Amino acid sequence: MKDLLTPRERFGLLVIDEPQDRVPVFPLVTAHAARLAGIPVREYYTAGAAMARCQLVAQETYGIDFISFFSEVGLVAEALGSQFDYPEDDLPLLTRPKWTDLTRLDDRVVGPLTDGRLRVYIDAVTYAYEARGDTVPILAYVPAPFTTAQQLVDQEAFLLGLLTEPERVKELLAYATRSIVRFCRAIIGAGGLPILVDPLASGSVISAEHYREFALPSEAEVIRYLHRYDLDVVLHICGDTRTTIAMMPETGADLLSIDRVDVAGAIAGAGQACRIIGNYDTSAILLSDPKTIEREVAEMTTAGKNCPKGFVAATGCEVPVDTPPENVRAFVRSARQVGFNPDYGRRRRA
Amino acid sequence: MKAERDREIKGSRDQVPGWADPKSARVTFDQWLDLFDRVPDELIERYHYYGNGEAWSKYLFPPQTFSIYGARHLRRLKFDNSLAALRMWGFVQNETERLFRARQTGRRVIATMGDLGAVPVIVNSFPGCVAFYPDCIWWTPFVMESRVLFDAAAELGIGDATCFSRAALGAFSKHSYFPDPDLVIASTGASCDDYSGVEQLVESFAPDMLWVEEPLRGECRMSNDECRMGGASERQALIEFLKREYERVVERMEKLTGHAITEVELREGVRRANRVRNLVARLRDLAFRHAALAALEMMVVEFGNLHYYSDMGEWTAVLEHLLGTAGGRAREGERVLPEDALRVVWVTPPADPLLLTYVEDAGARVMGTEYVINQALEIMDESKPPLEAIAESFMAASLIGTSGQRAKSVIRQARERQAEGVIISGILGGSHCAMETRLISDIVKQELDLPALEFDVAPASNEIGRQLQTRIDAFLEVLRSRR
Repeated sequence: MKDLLTPRERFGLLVIDEPQDRVPVFPLVTAHAARLAGIPVREYYTAGAAMARCQLVAQETYGIDFISFFSEVGLVAEALGSQFDYPEDDLPLLTRPKWTDLTRLDDRVVGPLTDGRLRVYIDAVTYAYEARGDTVPILAYVPAPFTTAQQLVDQEAFLLGLLTEPERVKELLAYATRSIVRFCRAIIGAGGLPILVDPLASGSVISAEHYREFALPSEAEVIRYLHRYDLDVVLHICGDTRTTIAMMPETGADLLSIDRVDVAGAIAGAGQACRIIGNYDTSAILLSDPKTIEREVAEMTTAGKNCPKGFVAATGCEVPVDTPPENVRAFVRSARQVGFNPDYGRRRRA
Repeated sequence: MKAERDREIKGSRDQVPGWADPKSARVTFDQWLDLFDRVPDELIERYHYYGNGEAWSKYLFPPQTFSIYGARHLRRLKFDNSLAALRMWGFVQNETERLFRARQTGRRVIATMGDLGAVPVIVNSFPGCVAFYPDCIWWTPFVMESRVLFDAAAELGIGDATCFSRAALGAFSKHSYFPDPDLVIASTGASCDDYSGVEQLVESFAPDMLWVEEPLRGECRMSNDECRMGGASERQALIEFLKREYERVVERMEKLTGHAITEVELREGVRRANRVRNLVARLRDLAFRHAALAALEMMVVEFGNLHYYSDMGEWTAVLEHLLGTAGGRAREGERVLPEDALRVVWVTPPADPLLLTYVEDAGARVMGTEYVINQALEIMDESKPPLEAIAESFMAASLIGTSGQRAKSVIRQARERQAEGVIISGILGGSHCAMETRLISDIVKQELDLPALEFDVAPASNEIGRQLQTRIDAFLEVLRSRR
């Protein structure tokens, strides 16, 4: 079935509450794009041009409605001084956070063109934007302050600090926020739409109370900054967000990208205020067979189409690196078919 | 002397809390990102369209916002660095969303096509109605550096051998650049033949379509005395003809809206349109005489006279803001372009706005324009019945007459402003331009002994072709050598 709209036109309608020709389709293909393009994963996340080329290949191959840049959530922490290991064919691993405890902060703010691998993202956005920015939205995942903070300080010390040193935690979040905003600004300048990703704020990691007290305000602050530019902000929290989904619209996010939450439940909790993006199981897309995937994605998309603010058929989290391409194709095929809107563009007689 | 100049220059610089304009300049895309850091949140909250307080109706956003949503060409242009210009760009770039919001908030959306300026005066006189020109979509492929709309038009039968205005057809077929209009009012007749073809194909997408005939304004071939008599009556006959056409527009609008419009409402519509036209006339004067605004902003300003970017009230406020800024600059002797810049008149709006930036960067400035929208610049006579006033002003239309008449307008402006050259940017594939460009160029050269540069604007791209750059550079060098 040939699309009437380009992905950019489709997204443009979604964010102004207008019907689209079909539901946008967004399996979160990140480092899997390296596998698809046949290059080592390390090359993907250390060279902007390589990252962009891989994403362009993935977008073209699968017919995805977005180009999205992401490797791992330590990006800003690394630029601030945390240390990572870079395996040849796997994602970076945090080896030593910048601090072991919450006792001291410096006054550093990242330089998006000079620190860590931030430049890789900026280069990738620039490249992809020039190549396909007229037809496809270019997204760049930016780790949120709460997640970044846990890459800056020993995670155990940080989580303990939520209980024992809440003010110091908030100072750390403010510290991370300053750099995140700086990074977002550079992405905006390059033509990318920042997506805020906060996996370590999920219900699998913290309680709803801690989410409200710590993660939500810092997410909201970054979103407020992005709203200065009138950007439609995606907040992605993978994992279990059943206890926080109803709070997430308070961040000001325009689209919520969800994972282990029932779609109908997410719509009930947040669908009046936000578009929902979700949420096919990433283990299933890795391990299941195309037929099963098609059936399950059809069920998900059918449920998602009921969202009053709109729906994007996506995976709950990243498509695993070694996912068989035929499984991603099955996902896309099914979401496009079921998400088709037969009423789109029908003549309206006055 | 200064007092005299001050009296001439109306408008004063707005004192906006939290903001002071930097020294007047054209700045790059990246420089606006830096400037925007200084814009306080309160200011962003201050400006809304449709007099609406909803978050979606804000529009004071920098070029980066629209670039992220696909307007890639903005990255290569230069912009005025004033708050008023930022406001103008935000407002204009936001128009697609605004049209959809118009529909969402219960307004009727009327597509007006072809006549460039007259019919929206009538449409906007009806309560709750918003007129817009799909014609203006012709800039979209250039602003986005994209073939998407041209390809869509090609699939419907109009390919590259037609004027860039074919992008409008692509936009109709997509249903995503503006809401499906409640009514399409298409003007045809003595106008652009390529666009008439586009309009015919649009009919298959229009829920309801009204055709309006534009008459030909011929050259009088009689003797002077006879012409004064016969010409006058011929002109009056054309005005009467147009008036009857506009009565049909009124009838159809009344049928659509269920609202019987009064003469008072129509008079008010004319008055409000005149207010915009007057503001633009003053801005043209300030820009052309004092270099208070650059050519790119002025092209956007002039084209606002067509349909006020779908919100007449807010567009009027934007223009007043710009007038305050431009007036203040002129009073203080601030210019956005050097005093010794080469003076040129520009004929036919360039579909690629980068050309204006390029020519200014190369040392010229635009002192006059003939952007095929004379009819929209003409002040209407408010003492006359409204439809007659609209019809009368339309008699100044650029495209309903001969090339010679257009050339006269160019010559008049060139003389008045002591232009040193004329640039005529044609439209690749546009049959109208192919016939007209050379004629205008010859007449200008003959009458004024001024060099004229003619070229066709190339298809949408991320740069101006090297060959054209060289031609522009050489042309400006010739102008320089004649000083």
